[in-house]
Amino acid sequence: MVLAVGVLDGEIVEVSKRRPVEISLREVSVSYPLSPSGRKTVLSELNLEIEAGEFVAVLGETGCGKSTLLRLILGQELPSTGSIIVDGKPVTRIDSRRGYVPQKYSLFPDRTMIENAMFGPENAHCGWLGRLRPSFRAFKRKLRAEAERQLLCMGLCTADLNKYPHQLSGGMQQRVAIAQALMMKPPVLLMDEAFSALDPSTRASLQQQLREIWQETRPTVLFVTHNTSEALLLGTRLIVLAPHRENRPGGNVILDMSLPQSGDTISVRKQSREFMELREHVKRHAYGNSSSSGEYRRVQEIRERGDSPECK
Amino acid sequence: MVAAMLCIVVPAVAAPPTFTVGWSVYAGWNPYFYMAKSGILKRWADKYGIVIKVQRFDYAASLDAFVGKNIDACTMTNMEALDMPAAAGVDSTALIVGDYSNGNDAVLARNNLTLAQLPGKRIMLVQKTVSEYLLERAMDLNGFNGQISQLRLMNTSDSDLVGAFLGNQSNQVAVTWKPLVSQILAQGGNVKPLFDSSKIPGEILDLLVVRTEVLQRPDGSGAKFAKAITGAWYETVAQLAGGPGAEQVISGSAAASGDSVSSYKEQLRTTFLFSTPKSAAQFSESPTLKQKMDLVRQFCFRHQLLGQNIASVDDVGIRYPDGTVQGKENHVRLRIDSSYMRMAEQGRL
Amino acid sequence: MMAIPGAAQIADIQAKPRRLWTQSLSWVLFLIGIFTYLQFSVARHKENPEDRVIPSGTQLWQGIKASVLQPAEEDDALDPSANTFERVTHSMIWKDTVSSSRRFFIAILLLIPAVLIGLHMAVFPYAEALFLRFVLFFDKIVALSLLPILFIVFGIDEWSKIMLMVIGVGPTLMLDTYNIARSVPREQIVKAFTLKSSNFDVAYRVILKQIMPQIINSVRLNLKPLALFLFAGEMIASTDGLAYRIAIMRRHMGMDIIIPYLLWVAVLLFGMDALLRVANRRLHPWF
Repeated sequence: MVLAVGVLDGEIVEVSKRRPVEISLREVSVSYPLSPSGRKTVLSELNLEIEAGEFVAVLGETGCGKSTLLRLILGQELPSTGSIIVDGKPVTRIDSRRGYVPQKYSLFPDRTMIENAMFGPENAHCGWLGRLRPSFRAFKRKLRAEAERQLLCMGLCTADLNKYPHQLSGGMQQRVAIAQALMMKPPVLLMDEAFSALDPSTRASLQQQLREIWQETRPTVLFVTHNTSEALLLGTRLIVLAPHRENRPGGNVILDMSLPQSGDTISVRKQSREFMELREHVKRHAYGNSSSSGEYRRVQEIRERGDSPECK
Repeated sequence: MVAAMLCIVVPAVAAPPTFTVGWSVYAGWNPYFYMAKSGILKRWADKYGIVIKVQRFDYAASLDAFVGKNIDACTMTNMEALDMPAAAGVDSTALIVGDYSNGNDAVLARNNLTLAQLPGKRIMLVQKTVSEYLLERAMDLNGFNGQISQLRLMNTSDSDLVGAFLGNQSNQVAVTWKPLVSQILAQGGNVKPLFDSSKIPGEILDLLVVRTEVLQRPDGSGAKFAKAITGAWYETVAQLAGGPGAEQVISGSAAASGDSVSSYKEQLRTTFLFSTPKSAAQFSESPTLKQKMDLVRQFCFRHQLLGQNIASVDDVGIRYPDGTVQGKENHVRLRIDSSYMRMAEQGRL
Repeated sequence: MMAIPGAAQIADIQAKPRRLWTQSLSWVLFLIGIFTYLQFSVARHKENPEDRVIPSGTQLWQGIKASVLQPAEEDDALDPSANTFERVTHSMIWKDTVSSSRRFFIAILLLIPAVLIGLHMAVFPYAEALFLRFVLFFDKIVALSLLPILFIVFGIDEWSKIMLMVIGVGPTLMLDTYNIARSVPREQIVKAFTLKSSNFDVAYRVILKQIMPQIINSVRLNLKPLALFLFAGEMIASTDGLAYRIAIMRRHMGMDIIIPYLLWVAVLLFGMDALLRVANRRLHPWF
């Protein structure tokens, strides 16, 4: 899986080195007024620093604010207090510096799969008037070839390229959705439960593909899910959120730890004892304890050799 | 229209026989409302052992109902008596010649336009009615007969005519009847009447028309109806024209259309009422009537109002009280019957 | 025609009727209607051969010929040597169809901004704040009652009738477009922005493009109200047009012209609807 060429600033270029981009949230809280009175707090005093190139998996039950967190970084929501800084610049609106893959409805139904993939780079290349120029045709031809290559890499067959989204399965649609986002070579990729609507085998296959793509170009990824295994298999760092409670120190974050990495494929890792112990650990400390005070923990050690991580 | 299409001839059922008279708002027809309300009609109906009902309609709807045989008698002008029922083959008889328009219908124009300047200008009126007839007679009497075909007529419904004419200065000519005429003139400005029906007396008649088959019912109830309604009418009109209780009749009739008493009196001023049965009967037996009706029927034929495929004007025959027929003998559709008016004159009702 | 479906089958939701039956059954009501009409017509003609309220077949045929081949009575008579094409293009029904259609299509053109306003209301929060409440209220004003005002403002000619149509149907289209555009999933808008779309890209290239088939369906549904307003305007004040002719013919019970006109209008509207349906399918194969 090679995505060594891509579209940057509207041109198809060779991508040598990914510019590192970090995300930081400072004193971020999100709350809104309830009728008749009172406020509902979703996130409170969140402080988060994400380094460039990290694959952060965000886990949590419903209502814990993980989607809100993603939307804040995306720019779709504004925080009640605090600021979100991506790559040194504050986030005020949704723009192309952050890619997005939602759970569904991401593709435009009136365009074929390949047209969907070509959408972003076309926009980046020129405005409405620029489309009238003859040079646009040439660009489109090159772009189409590139999009075709990437979609085929993702697992579509040639016949599927000119089909409309509703004619293909959910798995295929998500593949194209991911490719659509990645064609823009975004420095940050935000995925909101992207695989939650898929069946287990498609899900596994896509997880593997995502891992490989990410290892090629290393964007900073925020991956929201409610599936513990998925979070543990894909991420380099795990953050577990819980719904806001008044008297809990540390706000929403009840677990924030680095995850052990390994060179094995996902299907192999899933069977390993190490993985299963890790999963038990997370479930016990994160989900089992959501009714207790829930201390903020951070596990500093990163084990490359496969030792089980220490807790506490 | 649906009612007309689904109509089925229902013979008069159960005693006492019931008759329905349809009327619409007009100076000469409002008294029917008063007649019914004040009990005059009931008295006459009871005298003959029948029941007469009076029902108000919009003018066009009353004609539809009459042709569709939903009502037995209807107030209408002589022109409509020819167009609608006669031409559709419903043999009709004019029982009462009530009045003629003596200035109630007028051609109004702005900016000192003259009749000579009318061709080419847009004229607002209700087409295919006495308004169009009045306009043509206006052109004809002033020697502009050849230019009639160059008139640009815009069919405008009477309910919107006043507002549209007054609201926009570019509407320069309108042909309509009182009280709409009075409303327009009251607004002042530079609107003047160019021509009105007082210049063609006797040509726009207001009649009470009954279906001939109802009149000629074998059990005689139709004749009773004719007598009752004629008697009630002349009793009312006698009061209206200045007898005792005139104020009551006038205000009652004005109330029929929601007019003020002064406005109604203004309309009566330009209506030549045949207030005695003698005058009415005389007029209906005179040769003048035949002349006027001929003008009207020629107009109707020219404008295909007698029917799309009627080959000649004589295909709708008119029979007069003296027995003469205008048109084909075997195609008589409209009858003028002065016998009930004579009976009223002789007090035999 | 094998087995005739029994009573149990006809009342069954799971029935699978044969094609022959579905095709023939769909014509049955037409035939019943025509038959009933003819019964009434014959009954009335028996007692009154010149009846014009329910014209007979021959009268209707003559009425059709008169409309199609004869010029309108306000126009000059034709040169007798004119060929059929010239006679048709000078005929009453041609003149009326052309003038009514002209008003109809100008109104449709003027309704395009209504669709665009609805779109902007759905997508741009400030546009929604400005327009929504007013459009919701204005929609409830019965357009026909505005007619006297329209006559004053636009004169009594073409424009008051066209504006009556636009004011009558415009708010409906605006609100319909608004609802349709709002039903586009939020994710697509967000995705489009991350794919370097500008505001107008999102409004037109993403949203408008994908709701076009639904907009066309909305226009199809609004053809009838549009025709209704056109007829209201024409019947009240006009010099020509399909409804004008019907209003005039009514004055002397010319049902032999009115009924063909009614059917002709139904055919025209049916044809327009079919055209839009086919165009929708062709242009938007993905819908």
